[in-house]
Amino acid sequence: MTQLRWLLAGLALQNVGRRKARTALLAAAVAISCAIAFAGGVMLRSIAASMAVGFSRLGADLMVVQADALTNITAALLAVEPTDQTIQADLFGAPIAGVARVAPQRVFRTDQAGFGGHGESADLIGFDSERDFTVLPWIAERLGRRMQSGDVIVGAARDLPVGSEIVLFGRNFRIYARLGRTGVGTHERGIFMTSDDLLGLAPYVRERLGWVPPMLQRDRVSGFLVEITPGATELQVRFALLSRLSGIKVVAGETLLTGVRQGLEALLDGTLALVVMTSASTVIMVCVLFSAIVEERRSELGLLKAIGARRRQVVGLMVIEATIVTGAGGLIGVVFGELLLRLFARSVVYHLSTLGIPFLWLGTRDTVTIAVGCIVVAALIGAAGALAPAWRASRRDAYELILSGG
Amino acid sequence: MLACRALHKMYRTGSGSVEAVRNVELDVAAGEFTAIVGRSGSGKSSLMAMIGGLSRPDAGSIVIDGTDIWSLDDDALARFRNEAIGYVFQFASLLPTLRAIDNVALPALLRRRADRAGIAERAASLLTSVGLGSHFDAYPSEMSAGEQRRVAIARALINTPRLLLADEPGSDLDEQSEREVMIELLRANREGGATLLLVTHNLALAAEADRVVQMSDGAMAP
Repeated sequence: MTQLRWLLAGLALQNVGRRKARTALLAAAVAISCAIAFAGGVMLRSIAASMAVGFSRLGADLMVVQADALTNITAALLAVEPTDQTIQADLFGAPIAGVARVAPQRVFRTDQAGFGGHGESADLIGFDSERDFTVLPWIAERLGRRMQSGDVIVGAARDLPVGSEIVLFGRNFRIYARLGRTGVGTHERGIFMTSDDLLGLAPYVRERLGWVPPMLQRDRVSGFLVEITPGATELQVRFALLSRLSGIKVVAGETLLTGVRQGLEALLDGTLALVVMTSASTVIMVCVLFSAIVEERRSELGLLKAIGARRRQVVGLMVIEATIVTGAGGLIGVVFGELLLRLFARSVVYHLSTLGIPFLWLGTRDTVTIAVGCIVVAALIGAAGALAPAWRASRRDAYELILSGG
Repeated sequence: MLACRALHKMYRTGSGSVEAVRNVELDVAAGEFTAIVGRSGSGKSSLMAMIGGLSRPDAGSIVIDGTDIWSLDDDALARFRNEAIGYVFQFASLLPTLRAIDNVALPALLRRRADRAGIAERAASLLTSVGLGSHFDAYPSEMSAGEQRRVAIARALINTPRLLLADEPGSDLDEQSEREVMIELLRANREGGATLLLVTHNLALAAEADRVVQMSDGAMAP
């Protein structure tokens, strides 16, 4: 049984070599599609990951604060402006149309923390590490572990080594990370910690100040940073927020940044659609070509049936042949795609790095998974393309096949 | 051994239908050599294709050794063709990408016999017996038409069929080659005991048969 399978596989392999030019062209077509799919897949996922960081660094699209708060908005919405005005922490209980992500922040500006020089003012910023998208993306240097309770992150302007300790209101904190330069004052000189750690300072603040500012109460926050969904406009979301939430003010940043982010996300989706269409056209091409090959081989298929080959063996022969050609094309395509990626790395990515724009390559494991996936899909495209014409031919009488094949 | 009853076969063409075989009744005894003669287009090849399990009749039945072959499903019919019937076509019918010895061995391999060495040995023996002992590794394109036809005979005999069907096996061969092919078929019939059904134009060859039947316009001539 195994011997027969090998014989059929050998027969298919020999058939592959019968029309070398045609086989080479088919493999080349599949290779090009596969190279586009592989390089495109790796690039798209890498770009998406880089964009996730890059866009987070652009900051939020909107900021929601208490209606009476005075704000001095900056180009990049990275941190809520320090103000004594607060709003309810559970303001965004239900989903709001057009809102993709919401990150609450508590900002406590004080010169009594006992930090740095006597009377030095510091912004203590409490953020929700699970929902944050404006602080963590800016980390430039960190300890080799996850952030935990008792850790703080310092802005780029704070000249303190990562791993060292600082004292705030008599409590020790370890500097877990330092942010990159943002050009935003609050961000540059801020001391960031989890909201729970900031709330945990309340008894020590009371002890020193004799009162607890409102943003150190669990049910209050200084404001929310809001990212809007692709397709939604700032005006739509602003209207939705104001109509759903009372006592708030909605502050917008640079609308241009929102437009760039939404535009690039749409471009990525469009590129993905192009890759899918390229693959679909390859499937159609393989189907058409193998219909012609099966027609050309009718006589041989009829002969095989005449000497006792079963239908599935006749079909299997054609499917194996197609799978060998397109699978080989897929393999060549992955190699070609890897070369394209290296070219991309030496040109565009290098240029981006000189501009200080990070590019996060996909991990080796994910890259290999995409490569193997491309080869398997290429082989399956061949199998799918040959299956229908081979199946149709196998249903015909052997004699009819022999005669119609000339 | 072979019983054909009320066989009909019709082909549809662009200009209408052609009745290739009409109400054919044929009985052949085991081991018998029967020659079918008739003019071109008389339905001989269509009848052979139906008997060989290659072309489904529009009506009627074909029973070989008690098996109504056209009542079998696809797989069973393929197995029956493989094990019980040897077919020699009137044209070159070898797979061009296989060597002579592989072409001969293929039906035995399709039979899923585990004894690959035995199959190779028998294929070599058959090729030697048809005078092609030095052509084991030759591809069809490297052999003459007569040599290819003898390879086809060796292939038809590899599974020791009970019924050997030869459809004008010498049609495009020179006289010497045609004679050599006939000698091999007769040997399979007389020494191997296979029932031989031969379609031929050559009345001299037909004269060597135990029985000659004539076809005309798709029917058996009286």
